[in-house]
Amino acid sequence: MLNYVWIALVLIGVLAAAGSDIYDASTNRYRNGEQFELRYDSLAENSGRVSYTREYFDKFYGVSIESPDTLTYNASLVGSSLKITTDEKSPELWRTVAKTDDNSDQITAKVMSRHGREMTVLLPTTSLVKTKAVLDAVISYSEMAVKIALGLIGVMAFWLGIMKLAEDSGMIKIIARIMKPVMVRVFPDIPPDHPAIGAMIMNMAANMLGLNNAATPLGLKAMDELDKLNPHKGTATDAMVTFLAINTAGLTLIPATAIAVRAALGSKDPTVILLTSFFGAGLATIAGIIAARLLQRLKVYRIKDTTEEAQGGGETK
Amino acid sequence: MIRQILEALSIIAIPLIVAGFVAYAAKKKVPVYESFVAGAKGGFEIAIKIIPYLVAMLVAIGIFRASGAMELLVNALSPVARLIGMPPEALPMALLRPLSGSGSLGLMADIMKKYGPDSFIGILVSTMYGSSETTFYVLAVYFGAVNVYRTRHAVAAGLIADFVGMLGALLICKILFG
Repeated sequence: MLNYVWIALVLIGVLAAAGSDIYDASTNRYRNGEQFELRYDSLAENSGRVSYTREYFDKFYGVSIESPDTLTYNASLVGSSLKITTDEKSPELWRTVAKTDDNSDQITAKVMSRHGREMTVLLPTTSLVKTKAVLDAVISYSEMAVKIALGLIGVMAFWLGIMKLAEDSGMIKIIARIMKPVMVRVFPDIPPDHPAIGAMIMNMAANMLGLNNAATPLGLKAMDELDKLNPHKGTATDAMVTFLAINTAGLTLIPATAIAVRAALGSKDPTVILLTSFFGAGLATIAGIIAARLLQRLKVYRIKDTTEEAQGGGETK
Repeated sequence: MIRQILEALSIIAIPLIVAGFVAYAAKKKVPVYESFVAGAKGGFEIAIKIIPYLVAMLVAIGIFRASGAMELLVNALSPVARLIGMPPEALPMALLRPLSGSGSLGLMADIMKKYGPDSFIGILVSTMYGSSETTFYVLAVYFGAVNVYRTRHAVAAGLIADFVGMLGALLICKILFG
């Protein structure tokens, strides 16, 4: 199914980008080739401010934006080109123009005529906005993927070391034994004293405490142990899917990130979401486990080349 | 009070676990240093193993997000959201949460900036954020680490969990703050 999701994301993405660019071009959304009038106030030799009214902007682009009546930007005049600096309060349209122009927050416009403070300029031609954004995304997300993976090496090594210690000393088995009554129900295919059980418990505990740095390495260790019990390498086992369903539900006692953002934005009660998100994630966890256990019986999701074993009760018992 | 205890617990948990494990291993006469290093060797290998899976997943998500397809999807699904009593402003959060961790974090902050963190929508989106994990990232990384590419019902189960989590968040917020 991941195949289809992948195809859908890529194809829908590319088609939506192309469609949106074609639509923008046919309606000349960015008013390419039309001259924009603004007011330039020089503060020093070649630096100053430009301004125009919201009314003019709305009329020029045929939109209606939310902003103050007069929009002002820092700008500098270099030769016959005017460099206008946009910020996050600038209209979306101009920010897009700036970003597509040279991937910064600056718009480099060409001065066409000037009478005192009044100026008409030609903004840079803006086209293929979404296609360019897709291209950028391909490169930046590939780099991000590698960065994330490499960033894991350290904590990964640390937790694998600690887990090996716990395994060699028998600690993992003790942990597994304590949680046995729950784990045999959720993971009936895994022998209750297998190291996979201990690693999964450690991963879930780390998730519960909001220790994301520890949870991923411990979870990967658990996957590694689960894969040792996997007779069909390359294909997910029922236990793996159940384990991932629990992980993707993200049950935690402390949703630390959300609380931190709330506090930073001046919430009177940042932790009010403790209970609500525990409830939401709790339901998600239960639903995930039930869904995993029910779906594994469906014919489409059975492991294909092993019908005999499945019927023999080995894998899909 | 509960909050302080939980926060303290999450800070001391790792040092405590590490100290406890090391002490227990020492007591059991395990060659602690050797054993740790033997385990830690696997860290590099696993990290490298997940790269292709992570690149595949993140690039597809990146293309989807950059293309503006998300906005189209939000527009298409708004009536459905309204039908179940979800404010349309919160819909992008529900759709983005399983796809992108950093994306949904930014979105949560944006929405709370606009409507206030203590407004109904603010509480709802932060609850939504806390009610789920980035499903596709988890799938890519966890399956990548063991070279599993035939994922069977994992996507379906994960998305069902997300869907229920989002509905649960909406339900509890409606009951408590609606």
